[in-house]
Amino acid sequence: MKPHTLSRVAEALYWMGRYLERAESAARLVAVNANLLMDLPAGLSLGWRPLLEITGSSAEFDARHRQPTERNVAHFLCGDAASSASIAHAINRARDNARTARNTMPRIAFEYVNDLYLHVKGELAGHPSRSRRGIALEGVTRRVQQIEGFLSSAMMHDEKWRFLRIGNHLERADMTTRIIDARARHLPASGAPEAFEQVKWRSVLQSLYGMQGYLTSIQGPMERPAVLRFLFKNEAFPRSFAGCLQSLRFALRHLPRNTAPAQACQAVARRLAKTDVRQLEGDSLHAFIDACQVALGKLHTAIDSTYFHFEPDASARRRKGAAPPPPAAGEARP
Amino acid sequence: MRAPSNQPLAGKPPPIGVSLRAAMPIDWTAYNAAGVWDELIAPRGRARPGGGPLRRMLARMSDAELASRQAAANLAIRAMGITFSVYHDETSGAVDREWPFDIIPRLIQKREWEAIERGLAQRVKALNLFIDDIYHEQRALRDGVVPRAYIERSREFRAECVGIDTPHRVWSHVCGSDLVRDGEGTFHVLEDNLRVPSGVSYMLENREVMKRVFPELFEHLAIYPVDDYPRQLLASLASLAPDGNKAPRIAVLTPGLHNSAYFEHSWLAQAMAVKLVEGRDLTVGNDNRVYMRTIDGLVRVDVIYRRIDDLFLDPEVFNADSLLGVPGLMRAWRAGNVALANAPGCGVADDKVIYTYVPDLIRYYLAEEPLLPNVHSYRCVEKEHRDFVLDNIETLVVKPANESGGYGILIGPHATKREREQTRRRIRANPRNYMAQPMLRLSTAPTLANGTLAPRHVDLRPFVLSGRKRYVTMGGLTRVALRQGSTVVNSSQGGGSKDTWVVGPTPPRQRR
Repeated sequence: MKPHTLSRVAEALYWMGRYLERAESAARLVAVNANLLMDLPAGLSLGWRPLLEITGSSAEFDARHRQPTERNVAHFLCGDAASSASIAHAINRARDNARTARNTMPRIAFEYVNDLYLHVKGELAGHPSRSRRGIALEGVTRRVQQIEGFLSSAMMHDEKWRFLRIGNHLERADMTTRIIDARARHLPASGAPEAFEQVKWRSVLQSLYGMQGYLTSIQGPMERPAVLRFLFKNEAFPRSFAGCLQSLRFALRHLPRNTAPAQACQAVARRLAKTDVRQLEGDSLHAFIDACQVALGKLHTAIDSTYFHFEPDASARRRKGAAPPPPAAGEARP
Repeated sequence: MRAPSNQPLAGKPPPIGVSLRAAMPIDWTAYNAAGVWDELIAPRGRARPGGGPLRRMLARMSDAELASRQAAANLAIRAMGITFSVYHDETSGAVDREWPFDIIPRLIQKREWEAIERGLAQRVKALNLFIDDIYHEQRALRDGVVPRAYIERSREFRAECVGIDTPHRVWSHVCGSDLVRDGEGTFHVLEDNLRVPSGVSYMLENREVMKRVFPELFEHLAIYPVDDYPRQLLASLASLAPDGNKAPRIAVLTPGLHNSAYFEHSWLAQAMAVKLVEGRDLTVGNDNRVYMRTIDGLVRVDVIYRRIDDLFLDPEVFNADSLLGVPGLMRAWRAGNVALANAPGCGVADDKVIYTYVPDLIRYYLAEEPLLPNVHSYRCVEKEHRDFVLDNIETLVVKPANESGGYGILIGPHATKREREQTRRRIRANPRNYMAQPMLRLSTAPTLANGTLAPRHVDLRPFVLSGRKRYVTMGGLTRVALRQGSTVVNSSQGGGSKDTWVVGPTPPRQRR
């Protein structure tokens, strides 16, 4: 008898994957930004506003804070559980989803998630000093990696596992494009001293753990065309857009009824293949990234309506008006 | 078998055989309280039959050693994640508390247990016949065994269940009756939990913890295993499948994470390797069949072990704003397309007033004498009984007919004058809803309290499965009131639990 995976459990794993990835990205972003600011002269400083743009949370931030100061933004993105862009929020949601899926993971996995939750609650609450914050953020990334590494080596690599991975990679692909988009917008195409342009692209690579990979595979200076090509197209780099798509394609192949999601994934891949990303700059880059994000949104919708919230077929339709609205397990970013 | 009641024998020299060499050996002769039955220690500090090895071992252990074993048990419970949810708050989600556990096991002789087993099987058989009768011919009402008015006014009677034929004519598939022992050592049934009794997962986990904490005792005693339960439950559920389906799809239906017994729901689903579902995972088609939503699409479900109360099961029929239930579930059940365990409506026999009739029901349906006695009870609806209760309320325990978890109970001797007066008024206003029992002297068992061994009151909840066959757990869940003198054993109100050992004659030592 096939051990059918409940839609609710698949959805919980998917969102757990997304939220863990989201928390890790946020931790990297804040840490790298603090570093970047130290390397830029005051006149060229970008401040903390770009992080709000990357996480799509400018409007939410402005409704609650006056100035995008380091203190405000760091709190908003780290320990402030009321902010939907914060690490604390992401970890709370990851933990809720992990509780739902607790039965399907090795027992100790939940303890690791809980440990992460307690870490965030204890170390990122309030306004820790810059150095304490740095250590706490490192603790976040390390714990996320511990969970993912443990699950990778201990969880059955069955359909449930695929949903976790799909969540990871969809969020990761989304984040990669967001980081490129926001950083590119604030990087003047020309005019700035070359040294500082390098600093900024380096921060993009660092946010994505891509420094080492870039240096060994490109062996050149950090220039826009080469960096874009690396971040979008180098499948060997796990956080590249192409790398994420490849993982998504692979995971979807192992799922039943995968026609619509596989097609949606294929559509993103085709768009990427058709585009010479080295030529993109300014508006054309922004438009391309926009299109990529819309396509990723469609992929999410296809997964959601195929596996999580599908219409029952005609023979077994629920009576009209009786279906309660399913509580959301998570939400995509604006 | 009646034993003489215990007398304190303080001041007398210890009987031969009690070791005094450990740093702080327990003085068993000063242990017993007057007139209370202890599960391990007989008068004069001797062990009850079969309890010798445990008593000797405890006598050899210092308080420090006991404390370190208790700490080991607490650690194991934390690591194994044995919890129950106490409440829920907005920021941190459900709050789990670790299961309060006492490391000193409670012993029951196998021979004595066999008699209890027969008594429970008899009782549950009669109760199921009664429920089936209530929803069909109502012979027991016609013949005046139980007054009709009780049933008609029962909060647990469900008109929707009338005329439904359940598999094997069983309604309460999992029953957890609470047993207590009186001062003479006789077991009585205190109440029958026929609806959604919980605690069995803790019974099983307690044993796992004990194996870690006291491995040496298992070597010297013939302790009967308890871990057959999930297999028996699965077989029992499978025997309910519609159309004689040999490979039915079975699911445990839980209200969700925030329910206090969620740990158990999830535990049982995992132990039986069946799905743990919530109401929103299920849907009932126009074909009146139940399906679960999976990534493969809709998949039919044949048997549901539901851990949701009747009134939340199906918003089409009962509580219309229940989000826990499944619209159409009753349609599917009535059409015979899905089995529900326990069946809706079975609570009609799980009523503290109906309880007082169970001995009569056993005689009526089975033509047998009850093997397990009830606790003596007064029905407030009968004038003579009511007058007695109103006059003697300060010596009685008054219980409402339809509450569980110890709620709504008045313990006369401990209540304030105002509380007693309030209860008197309630009884006069609605006598049908109340019954009363004399204050019981629950038996005690040695329990670790403030670092040393002391008697604490215990009860026992065995679980009885009914499907094609009947099964009684080996022992049950022993709950213990951790506060001195308290008889409240509910985990929601400061009770703890112990492992329950059904022990046979000690096997001869193996030759090496």
